[in-house]
Amino acid sequence: MKTIFLVDDSATILLSISNILAKAGYATEKAGSGEEAMKKFQAGVKVDLLITDLNMPGINGIELIREVRKLPNYKFMPILFLTTESQQSRKLEAKAAGASGWIVKPATADELLNTIKLVLR
Amino acid sequence: MDELTSVFIQEGREQLQAMETGLLELEQQPDKQDNINGIFRAAHTIKGASGVIECHFIEGFMHKVENVLDRLRNGEIALSGELTGLLLRSCDHLGSLMDVLEAGAPEPAPEVKATGDALQAELAVYTSGPAPETGKVVEAESEVLSSGGGVVNTDSWHISVRFGPHMLRGGMDPLSFLRFLASLGEILAMETIPDAMPAGAEMDPESCYLGFEIRLQTRSSKADIERVFDFCRDDCELRILPPNSKLAEYVKLIKELPEDDMRLGEMLVRCGALTQGELDGGLNSQQTGAQATPAEGEEAHKPQLGEILIDQKVIHKEVVEAAVNKQTQVSEKKAVEARLIRVHADKLDQLIDLVGELVIAGASANLLAQRSGQTELFESTSVLSRLVENIRDSALQLRMVQIGETFNRFNRVVRDVSKELGKEIDLIISGAETELDKSVVEKIGDPLMHLVRNSMDHGIELGSVREARGKPRRGTVELNAYHDSGSIVIEIVDDGNGLPRDKILAKAIEKGLVQPTQTLTDQEIVNLIWEPGFSTADQVTNLSGRGVGMDVVRRNIQSLRGSCDVSSIEGAGSTFTIRLPLTLAIIDGFLVGVGKSAYVIPLDMVIECIELNEHEADRHFLNLRGEVLPFVRLREMFEIEEEQPARENIVVVQYAGQKAGIVVDQLLGEFQTVIKPLSSIFRHLRGIGGSTILGTGEVALILDVQTLVQRNARSEEREMSLNAALPRSTAQN
Repeated sequence: MKTIFLVDDSATILLSISNILAKAGYATEKAGSGEEAMKKFQAGVKVDLLITDLNMPGINGIELIREVRKLPNYKFMPILFLTTESQQSRKLEAKAAGASGWIVKPATADELLNTIKLVLR
Repeated sequence: MDELTSVFIQEGREQLQAMETGLLELEQQPDKQDNINGIFRAAHTIKGASGVIECHFIEGFMHKVENVLDRLRNGEIALSGELTGLLLRSCDHLGSLMDVLEAGAPEPAPEVKATGDALQAELAVYTSGPAPETGKVVEAESEVLSSGGGVVNTDSWHISVRFGPHMLRGGMDPLSFLRFLASLGEILAMETIPDAMPAGAEMDPESCYLGFEIRLQTRSSKADIERVFDFCRDDCELRILPPNSKLAEYVKLIKELPEDDMRLGEMLVRCGALTQGELDGGLNSQQTGAQATPAEGEEAHKPQLGEILIDQKVIHKEVVEAAVNKQTQVSEKKAVEARLIRVHADKLDQLIDLVGELVIAGASANLLAQRSGQTELFESTSVLSRLVENIRDSALQLRMVQIGETFNRFNRVVRDVSKELGKEIDLIISGAETELDKSVVEKIGDPLMHLVRNSMDHGIELGSVREARGKPRRGTVELNAYHDSGSIVIEIVDDGNGLPRDKILAKAIEKGLVQPTQTLTDQEIVNLIWEPGFSTADQVTNLSGRGVGMDVVRRNIQSLRGSCDVSSIEGAGSTFTIRLPLTLAIIDGFLVGVGKSAYVIPLDMVIECIELNEHEADRHFLNLRGEVLPFVRLREMFEIEEEQPARENIVVVQYAGQKAGIVVDQLLGEFQTVIKPLSSIFRHLRGIGGSTILGTGEVALILDVQTLVQRNARSEEREMSLNAALPRSTAQN
């Protein structure tokens, strides 16, 4: 079973995405902040894909992506970030930090799962 | 309500609070970009989350709010008092929308909706300017121009893609794209273009050098196919030709891609996009066509693309710099940001209850062990007790919340009320990090609100009056919180008029609370405001005089086992002091015995224990190292008619700076106590705060030291004025 790591400071979003993923047969790992996610990565959590929000207090999504990419184990892991249409300009920044792609919020379950299918190996 | 919605409501309210706090701060420090970002983020999170739970009335409204905040954040609109006011009102409206959602209504009531529409109209004023340039991703593919030539007869799409070198490092696998592409339809043919691959020695295994020519049969639209490559559009070269494209378009594609024209042509032929004849004809016509359209045209186009790329890189650089700057700011902030976990309050209460039982059970085990005389058993129960004590402290700590959140609400109150009153008032908050029990925090809001409004309404004078009195035009109201010997103290201080002594006295006489002949100290007069039925009617405004007197405030605070006092200097301001116990559930107690009964005194208030000398025993005070120490006898107070022991002890307690002694028979030592409230039939009892169960299973009463001390002080006064001891008859309600 593929494991997907979700990072978002919004509990609502975390819960709703993990519900969708669980129904689609993915295991999930969750973190409510960049700090929490970094801790898990440093501890070597085994995941196949990271999905992170960009706009978070503390370590934001872009910093998280940049830091995760520095860890040897996660150098080639697909990373998706959650964004909205109004944040187009941040896509470039996130891509430059090492993100693979993005999911536009609010996404339907199909959009979400399709995008995950696209980037998961 | 489903789980998701309730999670949203809780989260939404927290974010709403964050927004409001941020906005108020913004009024004070308009230049703090961090703060604006925080407000935007809060609004953005609410909008996003409301979209997820499909609550469209919140999402739609927050979208408007977010747009305004976005423009504010980008410096496109200026901050003004009106704008903050509008945003704050939007917060209020959001709060009512949350209520609607929480109540389970599908839509807000018409009047709520009308408010929302009005707000949206006001918000629209701020977004009607030119739309911000969103950093649009440079289109890798421009619309294909029809430029004559024959049509290539295929029913399939042709896709040429050259993946960028950073693909793998971005966590993307070229194969993923191809696989996903295949899910759109059928890949009829595919050719791999490895031309970019350097010699083995120079090859970087982390870079991607591959390109593909793909023939795809699908019913999907061009946009769908493009979307597959969305994530690598900015890093790869992509050409998509729809079915039955003109030959010239294939030729253009061949020309524009980096590989050698002939070789690429062959590839296209091989994957079946073109026939050899079409290719030859196409390249020839292109050569003749090139004479008609000057070669410059092609040349001019390329540098332009290059420029765009350079531009793009410049953007990258700035973005990276900005990100680095931000990172340093954020890392400073990181230390402050607490890591939180959300727990249902009921679970906590349950835990505290259990810990309470554990404390009682532990005390009982300890007692039994002690009686058994087995040293080892006693030692192990002692260790256990210590651990239980630690668990109790940690469990109570869980319930402790900072008072700051409650205080911060007053920023808004002070702002709104001062506008309403036409006064200029600043709120100064200190000790916001002081912690106290959650249940206390919840209940202290109302009394606090009353006192703050009171200070603003009656205390602070109008700006002109203040100036005339030589005070600064702006008045201040301070909210302070700090710990003081087992209590938390909250002060509401204003630099206003102070309490009008004469007016209060006159009113009290009029209401029959005091006799005109009585002489009262200033403090006693000021304290009259706490009396039931006291209200200086000519001061009633719609703010503080809401029919709720100060006696109600005091009763609310007393129900939390707290007390409140006021001190005032006429013309210079007044200070209201609220003292509250740190927690309502468990205390460290000091167990004392009178006759066969046991009593518990909160340990925080105990200063020392001394022996009562016989020659001092007939009075109600003694000389404690040069200080007068009044004392009460529990024996007398509770009318215990048992044999008085030869030797009595005095427990010296302190409350709010006042010392007093409590005379008891035996000192039984420290004792952890779970407070059980007394049932309502014992409500009228003065001097008892609750009960607890001892290790032996017996009940001990917990003394309400504050009442005892006050009662004692009063009886002393009476004694002095009447020259007679009337210790039990003076309690007043």
